[in-house]
Amino acid sequence: MSEDNHGSRAVDQVPVARVQTGRSFSVIWVVPIVALLIGGWLAFKAVSAKGPTITITFENADGLVADKTLIKFKDVEVGKVTQIELLKDLSSVIVTAEMHKDAEDYMNENTQFWVVRARVAAGEVSGLGTLFSGAYIGCNPSLQGKQARHFRGLEKPPVLTEGMPGRHFVLEATDLGSLDVGAPVYYRGIKVGQVVEYDFDKQAETVLIRVFIHAPYHEKVFANTRFWNASGVDLTMDATGVKLDTQSLVSILLGGVAYDLRPHVQPKAQADENQMFILYPDHESSRQKTYQVKRYYLMYFDQSVRGLSPGAPVEIKGIRVGEVVNVELQFDVQTLDFRIPVLVLLEPERLHGLLAEQNAPVEVAVRAETGAERGSHTEKILAQIEGLVNKGFRAQLKTGNLLTGQLYVDLDFYPDASPAQLRMAGDYPVFPTVSAPSEEIVERVDKILVNIERVPFDRIGEDLQLAIESMSATLADIRTLSTTVNREIVPKVNASLDRLEAILADLDTTLGPDSALNYNAHQMAGELSLTLRSLRSLLEYLERDPQALLLGKDGDKK
Amino acid sequence: MKVVHASARKLGLVSCQDCHLLVRWPELAGRQSASCPRCGSELHQRRPNSIARTWALVITAMIFYIPANILPMTITSTFGSKQGDTIISGIIYFIRNGSWGIALVIFTASVFVPLMKFVIMISLLLSVQFKSVWRPKDRTVLYRMTEAIGRWSMVDIFVVTILVALVKLGVLANIEAGPAALYFATVVVTTMIAAESFDPRLIWDVLEEADE
Repeated sequence: MSEDNHGSRAVDQVPVARVQTGRSFSVIWVVPIVALLIGGWLAFKAVSAKGPTITITFENADGLVADKTLIKFKDVEVGKVTQIELLKDLSSVIVTAEMHKDAEDYMNENTQFWVVRARVAAGEVSGLGTLFSGAYIGCNPSLQGKQARHFRGLEKPPVLTEGMPGRHFVLEATDLGSLDVGAPVYYRGIKVGQVVEYDFDKQAETVLIRVFIHAPYHEKVFANTRFWNASGVDLTMDATGVKLDTQSLVSILLGGVAYDLRPHVQPKAQADENQMFILYPDHESSRQKTYQVKRYYLMYFDQSVRGLSPGAPVEIKGIRVGEVVNVELQFDVQTLDFRIPVLVLLEPERLHGLLAEQNAPVEVAVRAETGAERGSHTEKILAQIEGLVNKGFRAQLKTGNLLTGQLYVDLDFYPDASPAQLRMAGDYPVFPTVSAPSEEIVERVDKILVNIERVPFDRIGEDLQLAIESMSATLADIRTLSTTVNREIVPKVNASLDRLEAILADLDTTLGPDSALNYNAHQMAGELSLTLRSLRSLLEYLERDPQALLLGKDGDKK
Repeated sequence: MKVVHASARKLGLVSCQDCHLLVRWPELAGRQSASCPRCGSELHQRRPNSIARTWALVITAMIFYIPANILPMTITSTFGSKQGDTIISGIIYFIRNGSWGIALVIFTASVFVPLMKFVIMISLLLSVQFKSVWRPKDRTVLYRMTEAIGRWSMVDIFVVTILVALVKLGVLANIEAGPAALYFATVVVTTMIAAESFDPRLIWDVLEEADE
């Protein structure tokens, strides 16, 4: 650089910058620190919000989509499906889901999962919202139970009753009939509850049906309330005419349960949660007085039991106290003899005052058959029967009907009978019998013959003649009467019968398989399913091509 | 004749950034700084704290780039079912649907460009800090490219903005901007400022020092 340079001279004239003192700290590093803080907070949130990962096994994964299907409880999202895999043996699918952090405490062995899809079943249409949003997994979290991470999904949504005011009851039935989970429970025609679940009781060989009855109708369930199966139609014809009885159209299609007190019965105490009741097959049988306590006895008869069939009555002085259950032929190998054990069922409640347990609550008596108290209970009854037997209480076969030769079992006191004991054979106590007294019969026949001899047949013949004469007069009268009946009453009866026939035909056209109602219901179901199908295809199309909403179908453009 | 690369700094001069007055650079001690005698604005021979500032901003951008990719960029709700799409899942979606062009644009603007900017900025910073004399001209070209291309990453944000405004069909379909949009915008802005705060003259200063 030269001093003569013109530029440098100009440079020399350039003013000098002012000098001042300032800070040297660079605040720029605050920026990445803030970024780090934000990033760290995000990462912390992601990690801390991560709930447990659970797996649910389902029969199939219809409508489930990984990373999309949500798990909801009361329509609140509590998790999300992250993976769907097939089991190795191809029997079912395993759905892996990530739950929210706050759902962690509720994931225990009692928690239930099911897939919520659009469902059109008789009686209800549910989950229509899933047509638009896609299926989701419903969940019923439970507060109690061991923590669990693997669940078995339900194929059908359960009926949720948790936290709802009302009460559960258990009904005992011989078979489920047309009842299903969700079937309605009626109280005087009002739908007041639902069937929640059903199970087979292996011990008692019965079906236990759990129903839930909403408040305040659960207050109408008393210890002596009768439940009956209200499925279908009750058609009764009696002196007052034809009576058609049904709860509702839904109960015809879906089945249902109804309950009420029997007429003219005072309500007892209110039933407790989970109290057991008998489910009667129909309304009629629920109204009849029934006897819950049943005792079985074996009776061995030496004579022929021809004419004794199951269902034949067991009577004490002409009053029915039970029935014959089974008649068998047994061959005794040791004595080379045939024996006929007859199993009879006695209903001690029919004998007021006898067999003291008649006032025991129904379920205690029913349970006593299978429960632990069986021993002491049976002993008490046996003691009572023993006392009667000692007094000469015996069973005897008697002819109930001379024409058909039907037999029945008669219980009575025979003070002269040879002493006998009540003993056990297998499961049943053996009740002593006396054979039909043939000598007695001979004696009586003798007496009858003597009496016959004393009959003045000649006088009877005269009387008979007189009688026949007056009878012919009477017959003439009857003839005139019958012509009147023929002329006037029979046509009316005929007309009534015709009307009845017409009514029944009408009923058939209204309710029968070819009826308009049935046809319309079919038609409606078909159309609904068609609509659902087309809606589904639309949604699938939209799922594939969401832009169609904006741009229309591809085909329209081209 | 030897060509002398004269620079203002070499001649002991500095130009005011505000009023463009040429002034002589004084001897400064300790915490002192120079200011323009005419307009009073502070004078710098080079962009102050260029390296540190650029580093800080590049690191910030890199931190924000993580949530920008992990979190959803758009939240699409159709018939009540919500679906979040990240940048990558969006690209995969377009590739699967055969829209290679759109996928390429999104990939370039949202993945390739930001990553390239990180790589270029970091290598420039390192080369200056380690006083590399390797291909200064090419490095300057790289810097100019970074500066020019940086704003185009905003394309992604614009696409999201347009989608959100356009697709408002209520229950049928609705698109919302996801949290990643904010982070991605922050990445773009901070990388732009980082490129801005880097002083390319530093590349050449090393050469001058090497000449002496």
